[in-house]
Amino acid sequence: MLFSERVFCGQLTLGEVGRRVLLAGWVDAFRDHGGLLFIHLRDRSGIVQIVFSPEIAAADVCRRAAGLRAEYCIAVRGEVKQRREGTENPHIETGSMEVLVTELEVLSESDALPFAVSDKAMVAGAPSAGTDTVAEDLRLQYRYLDIRRTSMRDNLIARHRIFQCVRDFLDSRGFVEIETPVLTMSTPEGARDYLVPSRVHPENFYALPQSPQLFKQLLMIGGMERYFQLARCFRDEDLRPNRQPEFTQLDIEASFIDEEFLYELIEELTVRMFAVGGITLPRPFARMTHAEAMDTTGSDRPDLRFGLRFVDVTSVFAQTRYSIFRQILERGGCIKGINIQGQSGQLSKNVLQNEYAKEIVPSFGAKGMTWMRVEDGKFESNIVQFFSELELEALRGKFSAADGDVLILIADPSHATVTSALGQLRLHLANRLGLIPSNSFCPVWITEFPLFEATDEGGVTSSHHPFTAPDRADFDPKNIEELLSLRSRAYDLVINGEELGGGSIRINDRDLQRRIFAALGLTEAETKEKFGFFLRAFDFGAPPHGGLALGMDRAVSMILKTPSIREVIAFPKNRGAACPLTGAPSPVKREQLAELGLLNLGSQDVLPGTAENENRIDRLSWVSRIGLSADERPGMEDVLAQADALALLAAQNAGEGEALYTVAPVANRTRPGIQEKCSPLAETGQLLSRAPAVKGRFFKVASILE
Amino acid sequence: MDSIFFYRPPEAAVPADGPLKGMNIAIQPNVSAAGWPTDAGSNALARFVALEDATVVERLRQAGASICGSTRMSEFGFGLDGSRAGEAIKRNAAHAELVLDLMGESRLAASAGDVCGFKPSYGLVSRFGLIGLIPSMECYGILSDSLKNIREILKAIAGPDERDFSLPDETTPDFSPQNIDRGKTTVGIIKEAPGSLPARQESLYRAAIETLGDAGLTVKELSLPDFPLFLPVHKIVGAVEASSCTGRYDSVRYGVRVPGAKNWNEMYLSSRGAAFGPLLKSYLFQGTFFQFERYDAYEDACRIRARLVAGMRRLAAQADFWAIPVERGGPDAPASLADTYAQFALTAYANVAGLPALYLPPAQGRPHPGVQLSGPRLSDARLLALGEHLLNARRGGNA
Repeated sequence: MLFSERVFCGQLTLGEVGRRVLLAGWVDAFRDHGGLLFIHLRDRSGIVQIVFSPEIAAADVCRRAAGLRAEYCIAVRGEVKQRREGTENPHIETGSMEVLVTELEVLSESDALPFAVSDKAMVAGAPSAGTDTVAEDLRLQYRYLDIRRTSMRDNLIARHRIFQCVRDFLDSRGFVEIETPVLTMSTPEGARDYLVPSRVHPENFYALPQSPQLFKQLLMIGGMERYFQLARCFRDEDLRPNRQPEFTQLDIEASFIDEEFLYELIEELTVRMFAVGGITLPRPFARMTHAEAMDTTGSDRPDLRFGLRFVDVTSVFAQTRYSIFRQILERGGCIKGINIQGQSGQLSKNVLQNEYAKEIVPSFGAKGMTWMRVEDGKFESNIVQFFSELELEALRGKFSAADGDVLILIADPSHATVTSALGQLRLHLANRLGLIPSNSFCPVWITEFPLFEATDEGGVTSSHHPFTAPDRADFDPKNIEELLSLRSRAYDLVINGEELGGGSIRINDRDLQRRIFAALGLTEAETKEKFGFFLRAFDFGAPPHGGLALGMDRAVSMILKTPSIREVIAFPKNRGAACPLTGAPSPVKREQLAELGLLNLGSQDVLPGTAENENRIDRLSWVSRIGLSADERPGMEDVLAQADALALLAAQNAGEGEALYTVAPVANRTRPGIQEKCSPLAETGQLLSRAPAVKGRFFKVASILE
Repeated sequence: MDSIFFYRPPEAAVPADGPLKGMNIAIQPNVSAAGWPTDAGSNALARFVALEDATVVERLRQAGASICGSTRMSEFGFGLDGSRAGEAIKRNAAHAELVLDLMGESRLAASAGDVCGFKPSYGLVSRFGLIGLIPSMECYGILSDSLKNIREILKAIAGPDERDFSLPDETTPDFSPQNIDRGKTTVGIIKEAPGSLPARQESLYRAAIETLGDAGLTVKELSLPDFPLFLPVHKIVGAVEASSCTGRYDSVRYGVRVPGAKNWNEMYLSSRGAAFGPLLKSYLFQGTFFQFERYDAYEDACRIRARLVAGMRRLAAQADFWAIPVERGGPDAPASLADTYAQFALTAYANVAGLPALYLPPAQGRPHPGVQLSGPRLSDARLLALGEHLLNARRGGNA
């Protein structure tokens, strides 16, 4: 068959009824009606039903068709027919037609599948199979099969559309896509680097970029003015559910611009990206200073789809007789609260006192909480009697409290504790009470971040990175208090409580940059060692510039409403940062390490407690849990020397062929027709009868800890 | 003198009717027979009493044989130190013995006892109920005065067993008697095999080969330059598998607990330290070394193993069978791991490649040490037929 004539399954229309067509794809599902065989044929475009009928197809074709199984790759030729009324299938786009096959070619066969690929029912009203029950690691191990499924296919195509939209839009605004290196220099950024050893320069390493930050600024100094890149970035961070060791970010930098330029650009871009997924974002995006976000939501990435904003009521209790509040205020603390409007029906006394006050809020780090329900114009609470009428009236005013409302207050000597606990409580309540509207999107710019944070040693450290421009330049780099009051020209884009990206206007003035380093307590020599090549570029006329990076995996996942970012990445790592498909990461041969000069790395300078300086015999005795007496040890030295010699002999003779682990063909371990069962010997306890120490139905062992 | 038997049942069960009726067969205490002490020669399983019958025990009894006892064995069957294999036949206490063959133990025991010893193809006989040590190489060897006995025993115990999940789905050979064509059967001599023999032994080997020609077989020289690698591959792979396999002896479910451990890890260290004898300890240490420090050496060994298996398959296209020299006896009770392995330099190949191998003792009065015959995997029935042909020829029979 000539593939040049091929048409796509999902694109057949009623206009083609009567035409002979060539289709190629995979057997999605089949139904055998005693000689009459219906098959869902699937290609990337969709599914069409093809029919093998003994009245139309030759006997040989029907016979071969009977042997077809799920996911066989086939090509067929046949005539497009309209289906009889009442036999249409609403589950597929081409459900009103079918193709009567006259020719069949099996292009390749498929083994039995590890999980079902098909998710389209063959008849109206029948339930569709999903992959919800398939273990994710199995899906990742057979990702190529997983990608054949509609949802993965659609996600990857939509991801492409979104990326294409980004490229088209930025191109139209005069941005140029430029690649920056992946093998680069280790720079001091937030996370740990992935290191790549250099063979040519033994004991030296490249680092994979955590972001192209330095290069994009160098491109500005290089006069490219407007740059973007869909850049792959790498961070060796601790595992979290929705994180990948490598991820894609949209990296943008522009010269001769200010914040407003970037807000407009990114808002327009974001609106277009979300529009690909049929989502309309409201413009202009809200803006909130970092201080306001922390004060009213307890988070620097606030979810604004619902209210529950904090109200500061410290002043209400300035003269209070309630001793707990009074002591907190005397220690410089604060009191903040939220009004959960109209939810007193959901939040009974019991729930508030026994669940929230005793369990939930302490788990958020606060020592306690105070609650009040408003019923019949009165406050109801276990401690309301400690408050004066004046205080209660002031509360009513501050919270605009009405019947059916519930007030929750948290007081603590530490402002950070109050906002943090109240912020977690805010999200907890919103989820529990169903206050978060679905299909709603609330983008917000968070601005005016603090430039520095205090360190435990009494100094300061950059909250973002040391190249972020401060809001003013006339500061004293030695005055810690003044430094902590500085704001940065950084901004984060947050949607629905998720940080989609962030950036800043950078410093382009040498002198200002030097004073920032001085504030950070870095000497000339230290800055030169850390950022020398980068800072040197600023000696040659650096333009004012700024930019931003957007996490594209997260953005696409949000646009497509997938439960995890792994659903929008073709070949992601699993939660353990491993790839079940390829087996990466994997051990390498000693010879390979030797070639890279890595075998003795670190041995000159052994870290205390690491295994390197441990006696080899002790270590093997430990890992095998086989104790040795003193007189057995000398013999073991000989035995290990022989093992070394054997390993060398094996390496010299191994060659490059495949390894063989057993000489007999491996049988299916779970043989068909054999039911697993518990041994009767275990059930009667006989299995334990000769164990050295048994108590009742249990083995006795030494304690796990001393 | 201490008994050659580790355990003899007070009264043997009345055997069923069958082809093995009247035959007394000894096993080793690494084969489960319900109610029998079964320690596999190791402290790690001291006081263990088997809870059910191994498949081989069940099948032998069903075929009419009587299991007359278990003979003393080396620790986990590794080497022959402490083993009394072969003696029960010599003293007419058994007609046949099952002896675990990890690297050639059954063939060497047969040679020491002047009886026939047969190691079947890997994967032919169920290992359900066997306390093994090297899963990818081990199998039961069968010792007897009579090759007919060996054939009948193998016929009774070979074949599928749904309780042994490691058994491959392969067709069991037909063990009916068959003829060997004089003049049409070739036996290959692998020229690299005698490499490790001292000169005198080698001339004796040549003498043994001559008996093949006398029996009307065509003898042909073949070459497998890698042959000397069989032993090192066995050493590495065997050590790794043994180390892995003995991980289960934890003094919690089996064996003896050394008292006084302060914590869990100390309990393992001291109890496992006391569980294994010096030879096995050395072996397990090497295995641990390969597992934890030089896993690449294990993989290299497996690559060589693939090449060796392919090499033997190529030789199978050039000859029907192979004759491999065998050393008589060997040093008494070797103490070290290296000396132990040295005894098996000419037998380990069959375990590495999973091949059947047959040891035939010399005819009476002949000075040579007998001969070891081998053939492609699953050629067991034909190999036994070849053995019967050779014994027949000695008796002047016209096979």
